[in-house]
Amino acid sequence: MEKLWCLTQVVVLIMVGVLSFGGITTTEGIRFDIDREECLSYNVHFEGDTFHLSFVVIKADTPWHFTEDGVDLVIKGPSDEQIHDFRDKTSGKYEFIVQKKGLYQFCFTNKSPYHENIDFDIHVGHFPHYDQHATDEHFSPLLDEISKLEEALDNIQFEQHWLEAQTGRQAIVNDNMSRRTVHKAIFESICLIAASILQVFLLKNLFERKLGLSRV
Amino acid sequence: MKSGNMRREVVYELLVVCLAVNLLVGDAIWLNLPATGTKCVSEEIQNNVVVLADYVVVSDDHTHIPTISVKVTSPYGNNLHHKENVTHGQFAFTTQESGNYLACFWVDGNNAKGGEVSVNIDWKTGIAAKDWDSVARKEKIEGVELELRKLEGAVEAIHENLLYLKSKEAEMRIVSEKTNGRVAWFSIMSLGVCIVVSALQVWHLKRFFQKKKLI
Repeated sequence: MEKLWCLTQVVVLIMVGVLSFGGITTTEGIRFDIDREECLSYNVHFEGDTFHLSFVVIKADTPWHFTEDGVDLVIKGPSDEQIHDFRDKTSGKYEFIVQKKGLYQFCFTNKSPYHENIDFDIHVGHFPHYDQHATDEHFSPLLDEISKLEEALDNIQFEQHWLEAQTGRQAIVNDNMSRRTVHKAIFESICLIAASILQVFLLKNLFERKLGLSRV
Repeated sequence: MKSGNMRREVVYELLVVCLAVNLLVGDAIWLNLPATGTKCVSEEIQNNVVVLADYVVVSDDHTHIPTISVKVTSPYGNNLHHKENVTHGQFAFTTQESGNYLACFWVDGNNAKGGEVSVNIDWKTGIAAKDWDSVARKEKIEGVELELRKLEGAVEAIHENLLYLKSKEAEMRIVSEKTNGRVAWFSIMSLGVCIVVSALQVWHLKRFFQKKKLI
């Protein structure tokens, strides 16, 4: 717990605030700027839940992005066991079944020398079936089906969020390409004109000197 | 028989309450603010969406609760909410523009202790911000019908999201096609400038040499 708070200058902690006995389907999507390293935590309340997560690196608007650097993501469980890690990825999706409830930690490491903007989304799907709640009541099949529907809809919203983030990234790349074409053409023309003026000047200089020497 | 039915009703109601509660869950973030500097959280929100949020400073030490300042801005720079020296507060608005909404927090200068401050932010957008209790009361619906209404709301939100994605994709396609045209035209222009400039060069040097009686 102490390690979590001391990790970097800023630590973002995500917690679900509401406990519920029925279907908990929670979706959190945030965008944050990352400098070198950033860690987030999420508290999972029930075992057996399916934990979906996705991240997309939405590049900042610096004009000198040459390489496709990604980020590293390390997922750690409540007792610091490593669940999964991504290396040098610009986007990724992962899902796992929660074995232990508690605080899950996600640490991003930025590989490129610039600030990046990362869109991070979490979706925890919880089924009433798996809930070991005390009551033995047979839940109505209708409400069962409704909660399944709800879970499916939340899954769709999770996928849509990922799509939106990817589209945003592509839009930035497209705009940059468009601007760079024009800049490149103008820069090239200016260089050509400058080079030819320099050529003319040098040749004139050369011949004038030669003429000057030969006429003396 | 009657008691069995009543028990069932209670369970249904409990379930309804639980399902109702969970659909209201939005973003509950704990932010750790550094002693100096701002920490911002952003979210991409479409037009005409209800946003509800409330924030509370969490402090272990109950005698002295540090105060923070908060500023929420719209994508075009309009100031939606600005408060200084508070320990808790809330804001609500309906988005007029679609884009990146930014909520920035910073610790006030008069925080005697220094060090990091934790803020709990609960931020709900769109369908999660809808007040289903008042809808249920107003239209006098409950139980399965209320759940189905919520699902209908969720499906409509998904549909709107999809339309938004479609429009963004169309914009991107336009930019791509423009880039395609620009690559061709500007390369030709560049090549044309090269040819014209070298022709001018040759003409200028010819004139120069003719003047110096070398040709």
